[in-house]
Amino acid sequence: MDCEIRDEGGVAIVALTGDVDLETSPRVRGALLDCVGAKRSVLVDMSGVSYIDSSGVASLVEAYQTARKSNTKFGLVQVSEAAMRVLELARLDRVFAIHSTLADGLKDVGG
Amino acid sequence: MHIAAMPSMSVPLATNGDLGEQLELLAEMGQDFASSLDIGETLSKALARIARYLDAEAASLFLLDEHDRQLVCRACFGPVNITGLRIDARRGVVGRTVQDNTCQMVRDVRLDPDFAKSVDENTGFVTRSILCAPLSVKDRRVGAIELVNKRRSTDDESDGLFSDQDRRVLQVLASSAALAIINARLTAAVIEQEKVRRELELAAEIQRNLLPRRRAEDFPVVGVNVPARGVSGDFYDVFDLPDGRIGFSIGDVSGKGINAALLMAKTASIYRCLGRTIDDPGRLLALVNAELCETGTRGMFVTMVGGVFEPTTGRLCFANAGHEPPLLRDRLGEYRAYPAQAPPVGIAADLFPPEGCPVTELRLGAETLVVFTDGVTEGRLGDGSPVGAIGVRRLLERHRTLRPTERLSAVVAEIVRPGHPLHDDLTMLLVEGPLARGQGV
Repeated sequence: MDCEIRDEGGVAIVALTGDVDLETSPRVRGALLDCVGAKRSVLVDMSGVSYIDSSGVASLVEAYQTARKSNTKFGLVQVSEAAMRVLELARLDRVFAIHSTLADGLKDVGG
Repeated sequence: MHIAAMPSMSVPLATNGDLGEQLELLAEMGQDFASSLDIGETLSKALARIARYLDAEAASLFLLDEHDRQLVCRACFGPVNITGLRIDARRGVVGRTVQDNTCQMVRDVRLDPDFAKSVDENTGFVTRSILCAPLSVKDRRVGAIELVNKRRSTDDESDGLFSDQDRRVLQVLASSAALAIINARLTAAVIEQEKVRRELELAAEIQRNLLPRRRAEDFPVVGVNVPARGVSGDFYDVFDLPDGRIGFSIGDVSGKGINAALLMAKTASIYRCLGRTIDDPGRLLALVNAELCETGTRGMFVTMVGGVFEPTTGRLCFANAGHEPPLLRDRLGEYRAYPAQAPPVGIAADLFPPEGCPVTELRLGAETLVVFTDGVTEGRLGDGSPVGAIGVRRLLERHRTLRPTERLSAVVAEIVRPGHPLHDDLTMLLVEGPLARGQGV
């Protein structure tokens, strides 16, 4: 699993690639919380996510909750089909701000 | 410079001198180590025995800290008490002894550039010579024993300095002490593990007691829970309402371990408590959500289904908050899934409308509703393949002629097999319509 962070106009883009599971989700959690903790708007690019389990979902939820608490924008962009199925099944598509393109996401978070 | 180093391999105890006395000392120390439960006290005793036997004015025993960065004085003998003193694990004659894992004999400390003067400066003690042996077993180092200043005596043939014979004796005694320290640490670790295991067992027992008691064979709502570890993050509950209806819930807490188990206990208790007076499962889930969000831990949430069943009419109402879709089996063996209409509880208070989440109402005749956690769908069958959503239906069909409790047990037995540990907790709940009951659908 790869977890790359880049900056686009002050917005942290966290690109996840591969399986986000019990083994890899602590790394994702750490990266997301670091970005949110730095009071930066965060967009998680999930186009490369081939699998996500409940521990991966929990990492996203924790970052979302932390962002809300600190009035920081947090969203998901280009969510892969495999990840979207999991989010939809748990109705988390109603919780996260999900954008089909990075440009839409950047527009939403004001980047 | 008079510095001598010698590897801490096994050495003959004595080539001259009183072998009987030395063996007696070794035996006494061994007995102390074997019989005492207080390693600190035993080390102090052993250090005093060694110092007296080798006529040292002072002695100290240093152990490496948990990061191997510092040496901490754990026992002391002589006029100055430096117990608790911490020094850099690479400094001084003691540090060199540990780093090189060899015995160090310094006949005149003024000529040794590694000698740390600070202790003498702070205490007024005057160190002239040092004999220091590593506390180690093969390459496993735990510290060092340092003897300071050999006492002069009238019959001393070695001009008041530590001798090679002293060095050999100290090496053997230090090896014995090192082994005792390592054993004591292993014992302490085993005791600690056992304590944790007992606490987990107790937690698991308390958790099992939270599950509903077994009912009569024809009771229409039954469940099963198999934890993957000692404690479970899954739960199910079944309780009677005053008007004869049956309340039920099933849930899966995100994460594993004790924190998930605690949240599981809390969520099930809140639902059961509120469920005795509020019969709308959608409103109940919203109230549970509000309560969890007020006192919850970030990143932890619960997917759950709550419902009420009226056994006489077959009327069933349930609400699904982010949980695996319950399956309704009709009289022809067709299955229909009911996906969640609300997110899991415990994420944010404003995700649920005040009136509660949507409720599905069904009338069960010969139909059966099965609700389960993802430990079932993600479980493995005998051939190693995942159960999956379709697999659950196949397993239920395979055992459809069995009574509800036996049916659930049979499905579980296909997933929980000896020698194949579960990766996730596994929970199932079954609600059977009045016409399906006892007929083996």
